[in-house]
Amino acid sequence: MGRGSPSTEEELELIARAKQGDRHAFGELVRRHREGVVNVVYRMCGDANLAEDAAQEAFIRAWQHLPGYRPRSPFRNWVYRIATNAARDVLRRERETVDVDKLSLTAQDAGPEAKLVGRERGERVRLAVLALPPASREVLVLREYEGLSYREIADTLEIPIGTVMSRLNYARSWLRKSLAPYLEEL
Amino acid sequence: MTEHATDWLGVPSEWRRLEKDVGAYHDGELRGRRLRQVEAHLAECPTCRAELERLRALATLLQESPAPADLMPPDRFVAQVGLRLPRRSERTVWQKGLEIGWRVAPLGLLGAWAFAETVFFVAGVVLIALRVGIGGEFLPRFRWDALQSAHPAWLVQMVSLLGLDLSGASESILQVLSGWGWGVTLHLVTLVVVGLLYFSWLASWWARRQHQRMQPASMSASTPTPTPTAGSRADGRADGRDRYPRPQS
Repeated sequence: MGRGSPSTEEELELIARAKQGDRHAFGELVRRHREGVVNVVYRMCGDANLAEDAAQEAFIRAWQHLPGYRPRSPFRNWVYRIATNAARDVLRRERETVDVDKLSLTAQDAGPEAKLVGRERGERVRLAVLALPPASREVLVLREYEGLSYREIADTLEIPIGTVMSRLNYARSWLRKSLAPYLEEL
Repeated sequence: MTEHATDWLGVPSEWRRLEKDVGAYHDGELRGRRLRQVEAHLAECPTCRAELERLRALATLLQESPAPADLMPPDRFVAQVGLRLPRRSERTVWQKGLEIGWRVAPLGLLGAWAFAETVFFVAGVVLIALRVGIGGEFLPRFRWDALQSAHPAWLVQMVSLLGLDLSGASESILQVLSGWGWGVTLHLVTLVVVGLLYFSWLASWWARRQHQRMQPASMSASTPTPTPTAGSRADGRADGRDRYPRPQS
C-alpha cells in the first residue's frame, strides 16, 4: 500500500474479518503496519525497546477498539493515532528519558570531529528531534518520517490543518537552529 | 526570511503569502494555480530558493537519524501481540436487540406523537360535532348532560369566587373552558413528555458519538489495559530495557 493511499480491498477484507474476531487477520494487519507504528513511537520516545512495547500496546488497543473503526480514513492513519497516544503515555511515564536542556546544549557544542562521523550526526539529529515539544514532534515525525500529507496528519491527530502547518513550521525552525552546525556541512 | 526582497520593496502581501507557501511546496501540498504561482515566484526569488534549499537540507539531515535497530523479527512481534490480545466480548442477541431498539427510538417517538395528535384532533372534532348537534344519533348512549356536569372542582370554585352563577351564559363559558382546559393540558403534557424523551435520545446519541470519536484519544489518558502478559515479554526479558541505553547527552 502506497503512502497516503486508502486501505486496499484486501486490507478492508482483513479489517472486516478482524472485526469479527479473526486473530489471524488481525495478525496480518499487525505485520503490515508494524514497521510504521514502531517507527512513529520510536521517533516520539527515542528508545527502540520502549517503542516496541508501546507499539504492541498500540496494536492491542487497536484490537480492542476495532469494532468502532470506520474505514472512512485509512487504517494506517487510525493505527498511527493510537500509536501517537501510546507514545504520549510512554513519554509521561518516562519523563526522565530525555533531558531537553542538555540535548540542545550538546547539539550546539558538538565538536568538528564528531560532526564528521555520520553515526554521531544521526544520533544528534535523533536527540534534537526528541527535544522538540511533543505536539510539534508528532507532526514532524508523521510528515518527515512517515510521509503523511497535511490532511492525513490533521485527521490522524484530530487537529486543524492550520495547526499542522504551524507546528511543522515551528519544529523545522527549531531544528534548523539546533542543528545549524550540521546543516552548514550539507 | 527577514531579508526577503519584498520587505523593503513594499511588495504586497501576495508575495508574503508565496513565501509561506514554500514550505507547503516543499511538502508537495500545492496543486494547480497555486503550484504554478509558487514555481514562478521561486524562479525569480533567490531568497525563497535558498529557503527551499534549507528545507531540503533539513529533510536530508533528518533522514540521517538512524531507524530503530535491533528490533525483534516481524513474526516474533506479531506472535507477541497475538499472545497479549485480550478476548473481545461478543455482543449477545439481547444487546443487539437493545441496540436496534435504541436506533429506532426516534421513529417510535415520532409515531407516538403523531398518534397522540390524531387522537386529540379526532376527539376535538367529535366533541365539537356533538356540541352543535351533529352525529348525536350515532351515539345513542352519549349523555351530554353528564359531560356538561363534569367540571373540575377548581374551575367551579373559581367561578364561585368570581361571583358568577352556573346557569345560562356562565354555564356555557364554563363548559368551553372546562373542555378546552383539559384538552390543552393533555396536549401539553404529551408534547412535553415526547419532547423530553426525544431530547434525551439526542443527548445520548451525541454523547455516544463523542465517545466513539474520542476513543483513541481518550485511551491516552488511561493507563494501559491490563492483559494476561502485560508487563512481561514473551522473549523472557522483564522489560527488555537492558538492550538499549538511555539517550546520553
